[in-house]
Amino acid sequence: MKTYLLKIGGVFSLLVFNCFFVQAQEVKYAKKEAGAVKTSISLSSELPEKITGSDLQTNKAGLASTWIDRFRNNNLPGDFQIHGFASQAYITTSDNNVFGNSDNGGSFGLTEAGLNASVRPLPRLQLSGQVVSRRAGEGVTGIPRLDYAILDYRLYSQEANQFGIRVGRLKNPFGFYNETRDVAHTRPSILLPQSIYFDRTRNLGLSGDSVQLYGETAIGNLGTFSSQFGVWFPIVSDKDTESSLLGAERYGHLTREASYIGRGIFETNDKRMRLGISGIWLNTAYNPQYQSLNEVLGPGAIQFTPIYFSAQYNAEKWTLTAEYAMRHFNYDKAFGDSIAARTLNGQDFFGESYYIQGEYRFTPKWEGFLRYDALFANRDDRNGKDFVEFVREQTTLERPAHSRFAKDITAGLRWNITPQFMLRGEYHYVNGTGWLSRLDNNDPNSTEQYWHLFAIQAAYRF
Amino acid sequence: MITLVFKRKNNKTIHCLSSTRCRLAILLLLCLSLFLGAVAKADGDYSIVTNVQVSEKTLSSNSLRSIFGMQKKTWADGAKIRVFVLPDDDLLHQIVSKEKLNLFPYQLRSTWDRLIFSGTGQAPIQVNSIEEMLAKVATTPGAIGYLWKVNINENVNVLQIK
Repeated sequence: MKTYLLKIGGVFSLLVFNCFFVQAQEVKYAKKEAGAVKTSISLSSELPEKITGSDLQTNKAGLASTWIDRFRNNNLPGDFQIHGFASQAYITTSDNNVFGNSDNGGSFGLTEAGLNASVRPLPRLQLSGQVVSRRAGEGVTGIPRLDYAILDYRLYSQEANQFGIRVGRLKNPFGFYNETRDVAHTRPSILLPQSIYFDRTRNLGLSGDSVQLYGETAIGNLGTFSSQFGVWFPIVSDKDTESSLLGAERYGHLTREASYIGRGIFETNDKRMRLGISGIWLNTAYNPQYQSLNEVLGPGAIQFTPIYFSAQYNAEKWTLTAEYAMRHFNYDKAFGDSIAARTLNGQDFFGESYYIQGEYRFTPKWEGFLRYDALFANRDDRNGKDFVEFVREQTTLERPAHSRFAKDITAGLRWNITPQFMLRGEYHYVNGTGWLSRLDNNDPNSTEQYWHLFAIQAAYRF
Repeated sequence: MITLVFKRKNNKTIHCLSSTRCRLAILLLLCLSLFLGAVAKADGDYSIVTNVQVSEKTLSSNSLRSIFGMQKKTWADGAKIRVFVLPDDDLLHQIVSKEKLNLFPYQLRSTWDRLIFSGTGQAPIQVNSIEEMLAKVATTPGAIGYLWKVNINENVNVLQIK
């Protein structure tokens, strides 16, 4: 509760700070314009200093903003930059829980904040790091984590062709949105299409310790092709990932094994058309906790190999985006012969996900979007009936068929109040519970198939 | 005194307007000023500029797009490129985005956001006025930016885009 209040306080102070910052900027800008008319441009002194000398009051009001300007706009040694973001959402649902106890009067359970810094000590070398705190329901507590820490060296650069290497904790490049999914301003909506960007296994998908090669090359006058490929050690330690892959929280843990990831994106020169393909080859295995008498699983291995196709068209007023994923799960037969293991051993199936989304920019400040998003846990069993039968046979348990799919219709509105500050709201009508977190919804049988979700969010970035 | 001056001025104007030659001249002046106004908004009244130390005099439009997309990071001699831009809603920024880079400002913004929040790049440095743009490009080694032609002086180089 205490940390929760602290978070709210933090967001609130950020909001206040933001208003202050914007005001200070405006005053400064007006001053500068007035000054520019009478004085010819002096090249030896930089403008902010001139203002400091001219008016004490402006100086006071602009203290916070010039502090940020010091970091961002001045040429510090090594081109040091800092950026950050913070957001708070309020989510309420008719049934089922999303990011906390949302069906009982709503929840402030989704808070995101992050701070990053980058530096270029050499022309071809960039170092960057970001820390993110994200509080989202039962699965994610908000303890700050190292999101990325990257050493990036540009090996080759000629005309518009670039080639380089990145080492460290890297964001996983898949789809259009994964790498910046925690930054509200970079997402089209408060909740990303959950069929592709699962929030319940997000730590697994988000970043990993990795070595990646990247390149960008101009293809005649058609456009550019950029690609990234790497070896990574996925982060599989969190409870949400465990319960998603193993059916429930277990006593042992999933191990990190060498996995592979890659993405290629073709963009026309005007970036109107963007086409992408990404693939993941994820290896992990269960490491049982035999000291515990309650251990029910053996040392089985899991292979998860999804492939993603992405397409986007950007016009001045509107953007159309669609992504499709085929997600291949393959479990070996070493999970033992307990009841729990029977639902895992030898499982080999394809999940299928896709969404289509239209965004419209009424003005630069007002945007709206519409989306249809569909998820099928097993594309050969779209209504979940076979799954219900299977679980009943193997375990005598009853499981709802609607936990195997989710079809989500979403509409939302976004207001960019300033370039830094944004407010938005969205409404979801969902048929199915396929992407609900098992940690937020302990009993699958008490979930509802048809449900509504309404969310609003305030977000700041600099 | 004041009323006298007014009267004289008024008399003059009336006199001037009554003469056909004068009317024609005024019409011509009006046309010219309209024409000049149109020219001021037309293509070619701005340029991509660099710091004087940058050795490049011409650049391909692919390279320019790569630079403002924050992908290309070094000049031919290996020195750092430092990109300066005006705010997204600035008229000159919008013109340069659309005409020179063939992009809408929102596309540039989302490209930069992807870079800074995924750790794979840096954002360009934002300046808040033409004067600041001129000052920064003139004093920052490796700098590139854009200016209205009327604001360009000998302290920056003009870059030809092919």
